[in-house]
Amino acid sequence: MAQRAAVARRLPLRDRIGSITSGTLAWIYAALLVIPFYYFIVSSFKTNEEIFESPLALPTTFDFSNFTTAIQQADLGLAVANSALTTVAALVLTLVLALPASFALARARGKAGKIVESVFALGFLIPSFAALFPTFLLAAALGLFHTRTFVIFLLPATALPLSIVILTSFMRTIPRELEEAASMDGASSLQVLRQVYLPICVPGIATVLLLNFLSFWNAYLYPLILIGPDTAQRTIQVALPTLKVDAGTDYGVLMAGTLFTLLPVYLVYTVLQRQMQRALLSGAVKG
Amino acid sequence: MTALLDAGRPDTTGDGKTAAPRSRRRGTIRDRFPGLALPALIWYAVFMIGPVVAMFVIAFMSWPGMLTTPTPAGLDNFARVFADETFWTATANSAIQIVVGLPIMIGLAFLLAFYVVQKPRGHRVLRYLLFIPALISAPATAMVFYAMLNPDGLVNGFLRPLGLEGNEWLADPTTALGAIIAVELWSGIGYSAVLIASRLDGVETEIVQAARLDGANDWRLAWRMYWPIARDFIGVVAMLQFLSMLFNSAQTVLLLTQGGPENATTTLAYLIYRKAFVETDLGYSQAVGVVLFVIGLLGMWAIRRTLRATH
Repeated sequence: MAQRAAVARRLPLRDRIGSITSGTLAWIYAALLVIPFYYFIVSSFKTNEEIFESPLALPTTFDFSNFTTAIQQADLGLAVANSALTTVAALVLTLVLALPASFALARARGKAGKIVESVFALGFLIPSFAALFPTFLLAAALGLFHTRTFVIFLLPATALPLSIVILTSFMRTIPRELEEAASMDGASSLQVLRQVYLPICVPGIATVLLLNFLSFWNAYLYPLILIGPDTAQRTIQVALPTLKVDAGTDYGVLMAGTLFTLLPVYLVYTVLQRQMQRALLSGAVKG
Repeated sequence: MTALLDAGRPDTTGDGKTAAPRSRRRGTIRDRFPGLALPALIWYAVFMIGPVVAMFVIAFMSWPGMLTTPTPAGLDNFARVFADETFWTATANSAIQIVVGLPIMIGLAFLLAFYVVQKPRGHRVLRYLLFIPALISAPATAMVFYAMLNPDGLVNGFLRPLGLEGNEWLADPTTALGAIIAVELWSGIGYSAVLIASRLDGVETEIVQAARLDGANDWRLAWRMYWPIARDFIGVVAMLQFLSMLFNSAQTVLLLTQGGPENATTTLAYLIYRKAFVETDLGYSQAVGVVLFVIGLLGMWAIRRTLRATH
């Protein structure tokens, strides 16, 4: 830092323009990230009139009535429970499918392994969204239309390519000798997976869990179409936009509801900030 | 596409292991076929590949409503799609969205990443902030912008004291598409910047110091040194954001404008949604899906060509 400043001082002013522009840009951008945040947090404690008259003013009272209204009006409590259930079940199912697969692919020596691996890797290219309607037909064919269950089955499939690529590359770093020693002692494949690979792969598993937690919790179109309007089954992301009404949206209530949907993600983010950044970086995808 | 991920992690030894010499137990079927991958493969085939294949089949069927029985239609759907003005409006909107949005997103993300990597004062705070949009769901982002862009919202609240007339940003055909692009930029720039920064972190500080002593300013340093070094990885980030803009914009459009006013924000992805679930013109919808699929592949190829490694 000090060294850099020294170098900068030695340069003529004209040469520092680049640094000044990128610095200004960076902080303007930071403001553009923070202002919407600030706005919607303060708005969630205000009435429409207060929001319209002085959008950036701090709320006069910290009144939580917008939150209670939002929670009642859109049944957010139930929706959070549905989201939690869907997310946790889909996360478990993803690991149950991806762990053995990655283990097998990391150890595979033949051509078949390579082919299977590239089939999964190609999944990044599949615009599953365009095939939303056939997915909808599949739900109907399985008799799971308008249920959370189908979404719990579907989400792991969308997450498999990335989860398998990450876990496979993690498991490749484990020396083969370890595993061979275990099989000499008479361990079966699944025992090797459980007792040798799993403990070493904990960081990889954490990455996959965090990444999928974000994309499952934040999923919108699939739950919207597949679970449908049933308030008993819908997730938080589907419930939130119902607070927006064509005429006369109560913005305070809408913003309170939005804040409410973000709380779980922020809880996880603040507790696991470092791990989550690492997870997002190795994932390199956005929901 | 594994190349896509490998390019992102220059420091991991992807295939560091060499095939161990195997004298015993070589080449049993069990060894060669990764059987434990089977459940995942089947799951994946049923829920992902199946629907995509079905999309291609339905594109060649006449299926005018959920309750009617589909009949083979040959290329009729494509003929209808290409003769439809709405389709061309949607194509133009998607093109604007990508041709304008993507370079801005990648350019700004790169400059931000460059700035963060120099570790200026407050870079930690900046890195923390940059992640915020990556955590927020599409509906939450859309609702915040819905509140900000409404006629009495924050944006007009800023403009009015400056003596500028506010606008109904989402209801005015001239600004609606711009507003959608702005929302996408808001949610994509920071995340792309953090990704690119993770790559720029690997640039040797000695080279940078040497260039600085030779009198290179930051602007030159950014575009002449860092950009070429990170070029292939920036290509990867560009591809991810391209696909996300092309396909995921449907959610933002659905939440904010429903394609209106007057189709001003109908993108191709939203058109697929509308034809399938609002107008139940299923053959048409899936024909657009096939077109979008092809555009996706062509775009990836184009980005790869433009931003492939130079060294």
